[in-house]
Amino acid sequence: MPVKSDVRAAEAATPAIEARNLSFGYTGARRLVLNNLSWRVEQGAFALLVGGTGSGKSTLLSLCKPEIAPAGMRTGSIEVLGSPVEALDTAASARSVGYVFQNPENQIVCESVWHELAFGLENLGTPQGEMRRLIAETSYFFGIDDWFRSDTATLSGGRKQLLALAATLVMQPRVLLLDEPTAQLDPIAEKNFLHALFRVHRELGCTVVVATHRPQPMVDYATCAFELVDGHISPVANLASLRAQPHLGNADDADRGEQEGAPGSRAQSAAVELRRAWFRYGRREPWVVRNMDLTVQAGRIHALVGGNGCGKSTLLALMAGVQCLQRGSLSAASAARALLPQDPRALFIAETALDELMEWAPRAAYDEEDARRALERVGLAGSEGLHPYDLSGGQQQLLALAKLVLLKPRLLLLDEPTKGLDIAARRRVAAALRALCADGVTVVMASHDLDFVQQMADEISMVFDGEVACTASCEEFFQGNVYYRP
Amino acid sequence: MRAERHTAFDTAHPLVPAVYTVLTVSFTMFAFQPVLIMISLAGGLLYACVCDGPRAAAMSLRWQLPLMIIVALINPLFSASGSTELFRLGPRAVYLESLCYGCAMGGLFAASVLWFRAATHLVPFDRVMALAGNAAPTIALMTSMSMRLIPRFMRQGKLVAAVQDVAAACVGQGQAARSGARDAVAGRLRLSTVLMGWTMEDSLETADAMRARGWHAGVRRTVYTRFRFTALDALRIIVLVLAGCLCAAIAAAATGQYAFYPRMSELVPWWGYAPYAAWMLVPTVLHVREEARCQ
Repeated sequence: MPVKSDVRAAEAATPAIEARNLSFGYTGARRLVLNNLSWRVEQGAFALLVGGTGSGKSTLLSLCKPEIAPAGMRTGSIEVLGSPVEALDTAASARSVGYVFQNPENQIVCESVWHELAFGLENLGTPQGEMRRLIAETSYFFGIDDWFRSDTATLSGGRKQLLALAATLVMQPRVLLLDEPTAQLDPIAEKNFLHALFRVHRELGCTVVVATHRPQPMVDYATCAFELVDGHISPVANLASLRAQPHLGNADDADRGEQEGAPGSRAQSAAVELRRAWFRYGRREPWVVRNMDLTVQAGRIHALVGGNGCGKSTLLALMAGVQCLQRGSLSAASAARALLPQDPRALFIAETALDELMEWAPRAAYDEEDARRALERVGLAGSEGLHPYDLSGGQQQLLALAKLVLLKPRLLLLDEPTKGLDIAARRRVAAALRALCADGVTVVMASHDLDFVQQMADEISMVFDGEVACTASCEEFFQGNVYYRP
Repeated sequence: MRAERHTAFDTAHPLVPAVYTVLTVSFTMFAFQPVLIMISLAGGLLYACVCDGPRAAAMSLRWQLPLMIIVALINPLFSASGSTELFRLGPRAVYLESLCYGCAMGGLFAASVLWFRAATHLVPFDRVMALAGNAAPTIALMTSMSMRLIPRFMRQGKLVAAVQDVAAACVGQGQAARSGARDAVAGRLRLSTVLMGWTMEDSLETADAMRARGWHAGVRRTVYTRFRFTALDALRIIVLVLAGCLCAAIAAAATGQYAFYPRMSELVPWWGYAPYAAWMLVPTVLHVREEARCQ
């Protein structure tokens, strides 16, 4: 936009975000989340804010938007586009700073796409003519015009997140803050979203700040990066260093691979076997699983990969015995099965983490000592008294995993076990799975996280169109793949 | 995804079908006279046929018909009035008048259900929301959010139950499968506890997302939807209201003249039934015309 460039040059001296000596602690907590940090993001930047879960990334971002800032003690100053955030009222803040949240499901407010796009502008009292123009423009920019009249409930996760981005940008904010925007998306949807975000940055000149614990896919778009550790922020000098594939294993992981080589060759029993399996959810529904043959070897980690809606989760439900095949056969070696759904919150009922683990104690015959040990094993020692919802996403996943492991299943079925988890939590999940595998438990996991799959799985099946496109050992699988690789 | 459908009043301002629907449902519920009930029932049934197809309309009658019969049969047991005794059931007499009254009651009930269903076609939910959104945005938004919550609750509930069942099967191997009402109640309670926690947690983020986009910004809200209220719409409403007045007069006259007890009044051919029937046929005629135009 050449007309605006002069104006922007004059304003360029004003940073998009500037924090000076900023400290913040949550009400009731002694520890400071942010400790006397100073941070400056120039206008027109595409900045990454990296750091593990709980490092305060979200807190720092939300402090830039007073209406969603958490309750607590703040000292120091924070300015957005040259004006202190306290001076921004709800309307001014919505106009100047856009905020996209992590969960596409939760941030959609309205029942239809057009209304979702209009929601912000309606709140701001934008005159109808202008509103219609802005919405039309934004819809064309994001290619929403094809599904403009759809119900939001029918959209895929990727589209929902794209809609959330569009619904924020329709208010024409100059600064866009995103908190883990792609953590809940599959790799293809993630690329689509990032591409749209890149266009927003490049074509609209919007300043973009993305908080993420997994910067790899975004590094190519970024102009600068900052790392938040222990409440302090420091610029990342070498952006390329963020591209490295994180290692999930520990030292004894290397020789595990060799050990696996031997038992792999000997004939193994099958933990689960599907033969000519057909499944659909209803008489009028299409087949989700069609004529599928699949064998999961006992005592191994078997990964199911494939796009959204290819039938991975259905396959797990079938193996768990939640759903029954219409035709064909499914045989499981043991009835001791456990299913961990994508969202671990489906399991949580108790007030504290320890009570949570004790829920099935009488029936599964284990005592409090076992439960405490289980907590310790997943690195949650000391969290016994915390409410499950007060744990971070990664800790919730580990707690749910520990709860299921106490049932002593022989077959563990995991749906996206690392979705939205940071590297530390993924390492802990990996360690827990390795320990299980050493005990001879069979693990089947559906995952989009190809990093994790590559480093953890013994065998990988690619599910496509209700069938298994191929099953291969991990090495073979990734050697043969052209597109589908980490 | 909901398919875009062309229905009667498709191109009119939503106030037009709303006026028609409100008037029709009131006529149906208040005009308690056999012929008028029959006309309304026929009109509702015909519209259901052209809208959903005869098969679907017949399917919906599958549960309405037994209900009609039950209402018809129960009435004589409760109201022992009338003059034509049919037979005696123990100490109570069953009268023809009372039986007919029950039939009329059942017919009225079925017709009302049909017209309420028709209302969802004539005034689609999103249009109601759009209209309501102009007048009472908070209530409209709350309603639409609650509506979206129901399928989500169902989905999450199924998942929670599935996980629980798998876990129960896992520990229950070798033992007898868990059973008994107490376990079932405990299971349901558990389900609602899990869902509550989950939903509350999610709604916190939704609230933040709303605030981040200027909800309660303290300015007068504007609206996106542009329902142009044209002169034609005004004309349509005037015509509807005038015709509605005529039908109301007809209904009042017919209902006032007719009595079930002690002896049913005689039904005679009357010019007033014709405009009433025409009124009940309006959506059917419009729908058929609209369909013909589309092709």
